[in-house]
Amino acid sequence: MRLPRFEYIEPINFEGALDLLYIHKDNAKVLAGGTDLLVRMKKGLLKPKIIISLKALKELSYIKKDDSYIKIGARTSIADIIASDLIKKEACALFEACEKIGAVTIQHYRGTIGGNILQDNRCIHYNQSAFHRSGRQPCHKDGGKICYARDASDRCNSTCQSDGATALMALGANITLVRKGTERIIDLDNFYTTDGIMPFAMESNELLKEIVIPIQGGKSSYKRLAYRSAIDYPIVSAGVFLKSSDTSKNEIEDARIVVGAIARAPIFLAKASSFLKGKKFNDISAFKKAADISMDNASTFAVHNVGSTLEYRCAMVSEMVFQALKEAAIVTQE
Amino acid sequence: MEKILITLNINDKPCEVMVYPNDTLLEVLRDELDLTGSKESCGEGVCGSCTIHMDDKPVRSCLTLAMEATGTKIKTVEGLAKGDELSSLQQSFVDHGAVQCGFCTPGMLMSADALLKINSKPDEKTVRKAIAGNICRCTGYTKIVKAVAHAGNSQDHCPDCITFSKAKE
Amino acid sequence: MSKSNSDFSVVGKRIPKLDAAQKAMGRAEYIQDIKLPGMLYGRILYSKYAHANIVKIDTSKAVALSGVHAVLTGEDVPEKMKMGFIKDNPPIKKGKVCSFRDEVAAVAAISPEIAKKALDLIEIEYEEQIGIFDPEKAMEKDSPLVHGHLKSNVLKMPWDIHYGDVEKAEKESAFVVEDRFTTQWVTHCCLGTSGAIALFDANDNLTIHTNTQIPSLAQKDFLESLKAMGLENKRVRVIKPIIGGGFGSKLDTYAYEHIAILLAHKCRKPVKIAFDRVEEFKATSTRQPTIIYIKQGCDKNGKLTFRDMRMVLDNGAHTSWGATTPSVMLMPISSLYRVENVKYVAKCVYTNNTYSQAMRGYGNPQATFAIESSMDMLAEKAGIDRIEIRRINRNQSGDETPQGLKITTCGLEECIDAVEKELKFDGKNEKGVGTGIASLIHVGGGARIYGSDGCGAILKMDDYGKVDVFTGGTDMGQGLDNIIAQIVAEELGLLAEDINVVHSDTDICPWDVGAHASRSTFVAGNAALGAAKKVKQKIQKFASKLFDVPAEKIEFKDKLVFVPGDQEKSMPLGKLLRKAHFSPGGTMLMAEYFYDPDNQNMGKELKGNMSMTYSFGAHGAKVKVDEETGKVEVLEYVAAHDVGRAINPLLLEGQVYGGVVMGLGYALTEEVTVKDGEIMNANFRDYKLFTAKDAVKIKAPIIETDDKDGPFGAKGIGEPGCVPTAPAIANAIYDAVGVRIKDLPITPEKVLVALKKKND
Repeated sequence: MRLPRFEYIEPINFEGALDLLYIHKDNAKVLAGGTDLLVRMKKGLLKPKIIISLKALKELSYIKKDDSYIKIGARTSIADIIASDLIKKEACALFEACEKIGAVTIQHYRGTIGGNILQDNRCIHYNQSAFHRSGRQPCHKDGGKICYARDASDRCNSTCQSDGATALMALGANITLVRKGTERIIDLDNFYTTDGIMPFAMESNELLKEIVIPIQGGKSSYKRLAYRSAIDYPIVSAGVFLKSSDTSKNEIEDARIVVGAIARAPIFLAKASSFLKGKKFNDISAFKKAADISMDNASTFAVHNVGSTLEYRCAMVSEMVFQALKEAAIVTQE
Repeated sequence: MEKILITLNINDKPCEVMVYPNDTLLEVLRDELDLTGSKESCGEGVCGSCTIHMDDKPVRSCLTLAMEATGTKIKTVEGLAKGDELSSLQQSFVDHGAVQCGFCTPGMLMSADALLKINSKPDEKTVRKAIAGNICRCTGYTKIVKAVAHAGNSQDHCPDCITFSKAKE
Repeated sequence: MSKSNSDFSVVGKRIPKLDAAQKAMGRAEYIQDIKLPGMLYGRILYSKYAHANIVKIDTSKAVALSGVHAVLTGEDVPEKMKMGFIKDNPPIKKGKVCSFRDEVAAVAAISPEIAKKALDLIEIEYEEQIGIFDPEKAMEKDSPLVHGHLKSNVLKMPWDIHYGDVEKAEKESAFVVEDRFTTQWVTHCCLGTSGAIALFDANDNLTIHTNTQIPSLAQKDFLESLKAMGLENKRVRVIKPIIGGGFGSKLDTYAYEHIAILLAHKCRKPVKIAFDRVEEFKATSTRQPTIIYIKQGCDKNGKLTFRDMRMVLDNGAHTSWGATTPSVMLMPISSLYRVENVKYVAKCVYTNNTYSQAMRGYGNPQATFAIESSMDMLAEKAGIDRIEIRRINRNQSGDETPQGLKITTCGLEECIDAVEKELKFDGKNEKGVGTGIASLIHVGGGARIYGSDGCGAILKMDDYGKVDVFTGGTDMGQGLDNIIAQIVAEELGLLAEDINVVHSDTDICPWDVGAHASRSTFVAGNAALGAAKKVKQKIQKFASKLFDVPAEKIEFKDKLVFVPGDQEKSMPLGKLLRKAHFSPGGTMLMAEYFYDPDNQNMGKELKGNMSMTYSFGAHGAKVKVDEETGKVEVLEYVAAHDVGRAINPLLLEGQVYGGVVMGLGYALTEEVTVKDGEIMNANFRDYKLFTAKDAVKIKAPIIETDDKDGPFGAKGIGEPGCVPTAPAIANAIYDAVGVRIKDLPITPEKVLVALKKKND
């Protein structure tokens, strides 16, 4: 499969990259590892005139502890995250999510955390060859007005299948986006839009610089379901974060439940999360209840578009959340 | 778009080659440099047939731009053997029957070789994980896993290791 | 007394594949790697509809594009150029398309990029027609027709068979079970995609390098194409490069090969067409999907009384070998276990879907899935242990089955024993864990589905004791080269490395019906053995004069020709050959042999001994079912096979392991998903092949029954590995959690739905 033609530019530093984005905006795409971008380009889903390679930007590869935050450079490889004791200890959900991404041979070097959380939404009807798509009216994401996943839908129903996004959102992470002359910090809850066509609140002249995870002393976990053990996207996933109260180690003070691979964006389930506040860490039935609430709330957003049946994926929301909660609780109690 | 002259360091040799920006490393290796050992099977980074090393790490060359490979140390399957002398991993693949149609073999070898560089005596589980990004349709993986685990790590109980060590004597 | 492996010096040895080193060095040349001087790149345009009339095609823009040498549409294809065994499929369609796979145009250009661009410039106006995608609906009287000129969507095929008296036997049965099973589309997923390079010489003789398992039959197809093109009395040379997997996919000629021929002739240049992965999924064939109705019964002792099966086969829009898979399905249906009364009806139905072809097992995996699932159900109903019911009904050496299959050697019982030894079948597993067993019968000594089931071999000895064997057989990665080398080396007292096997070039190699039906070891092996024996006799005759002893006293071992017990009478083979060559009136030693097995074509009554011998096997699986997610994990797998004799256990295990994992994919994850005739998962991301992490370590006990007709006792083993896998898994799942999944693949969602239903 050939890539469409483009101009390749390799800025030598971060400022250089920002300058290029400032000039080229929509015409340019940023290339980190390429495992998502180049596949889309090969299928003709994307035809940028200019590719800005982050190859020389080694300064964007780091994992460091800064006060009560973990800071991860956007170009950090998935393998580096898996190998980090800091992440394993303080952000276990991210470690678990990264372990599931692609395969070992994708995780190092090419696969980056920035690329993972900025991977485009997917849909079985959209992620097809150019020829397949050419035989029909374009869908919303392809520039048209039809949705093949959900009849008569006036919007795109593609799904965010990023493992990293779900885990990071559960961890309450935010990200730093930079454009020439200015930078802003946005939490992931707000970064992921519910727009399948443009799933991120990100301008074309912005560059993802850093991911920041607050160290809150809680425990997190990530579970996902896929058909295969490797080189597969999740069809449902759940990231959870549990924190015990200062007074009693057995009481949940704060909880965050996020489910992924089910809707246009990872969904933070506020109701299910707050339900767990004040519950005991060994209260399995409370976890079950929270999992069921998660399923009920997430199901409304679910679309049949990434394989399997919708009924199954919805049912599995509950199971994945439950498993993740159980695991986080056990780790907390250890 | 015009072709650009780049220098790639392939199998410890500098190679000057004219490329288009949209040429993948795999296309340049195969079509421009006649290094056809690396294979394209899926073209989208799933099957691993195109796996090569960049700076000792296994990378899918079908999803790597040739331009991006400048300044790195590239190794392809052609660089594993010393002349006609197979590396111990290649020999192990041969002896353990890990090669059938052979189309996945180059990529499989590159993934396995990278593993052995950091872990010379991997157990079965580690091997399976390391080659999980390489699809094989012929072997059911059993013999590949064995070949990797036993490469340079000959096992007394294994009939195919015995053949190998005998032949070496 | 049959021979044991210790009697052999080369046969039975774990000799690594002879081409493994060049493959491991990346030096093997596949079609993708071959470039000929002046070569053009061809590309095919496919239909955008499942069913439509072509109103207008405008190729002018493509023709005008710089770098384009030729553009073809259906109008350029000679009327008589058609593919498939009923010749219902022109390589480029004219006027009408019946599936998304239908070819509507093709181009040849100086680069793949330009060829692709040219395709984009071809403008076609379609008039969409109603498509029919469900074969059972397509059988209904008022169904739209896929081919308007036919009266019905149902093909005229002879699959209506009745042995014994099923109705009577059913009445007399103590227990009867009945059910419906379905199997899905799956596809070969050869890692090396399809491709061909065609070129003509100045006299219009064709050379075609192509990925094929049937060089000789492909040659015939291409000759017919040349004839249709008005090129009478021309020669066709088919050369198969090293191929990246076969599994049955290359058992018919494809449109791309015929199109490459048309383009090459028009351009007077070599034209290569090589598929990418998407095209490989969309434009090569699948395993035949089936809807299976099965009813079988037993008496109160568990002895099978009858088996009654009915199938509906989705033929797709055109006809390839998929429509003939019932001829092989008939084998397990009539002959897996002893059963006297058998009925089998199969209907092949045209739809606007893709069409099926041969794939490892050739119908057997589908039929065996239903039969072996149903066997467990019958055992349960009759209150008989599931291993026991299989023992009671097992085939035995000397049996002749209702179909007329003559079971010369049968190691089924030993296979069942071997599985039972490795896995527990007492139902006492931990929660969610279960074991399952399923058996198989398959052709192991050729399969006469064509006028000849033969294979030729030519053997030529040089001055140094080395041998060239020109075989009709085809190596596609399975290791036929080794098998032939080991057989010939054994016979002539040489080493395998002394034998050079040349195959798959019709200018050089003799005829063979093809690498299918697990027949190559048996048939090509016997052909090579026959030639080796002939040459051996010639050498013996020469040495007899030299040593002054009767010819039959002369033996061959360790590259020596000698008379046992007489040290004086011994000579290195090479020296002897030189003596023969360089004496006055010298001779060089060569021999040819054509082996056509004494098996039978099934006549109109569909009876006959289709193979010289049959391979048997039993598979056992231990699985764990996650009752919360429905996911099935395979914990252990045992695949025991009666292989007659393992010529090379190393390669044989490879066939079994690979077959089993292909079977596990069939059972659990693989499915070509189709929406209104269009394939939705034409890539390795969405079509779920097992990875190394999903696959398990497999135990493969080898049972040797030393078949009297096999070369050194061997039977075929190419396909059996994937035949009973799905029912072994389905039976294990039932044992684990009490749900029976009757539709492949057994996905987590199906298991979960069944579990819910059971618990409600």
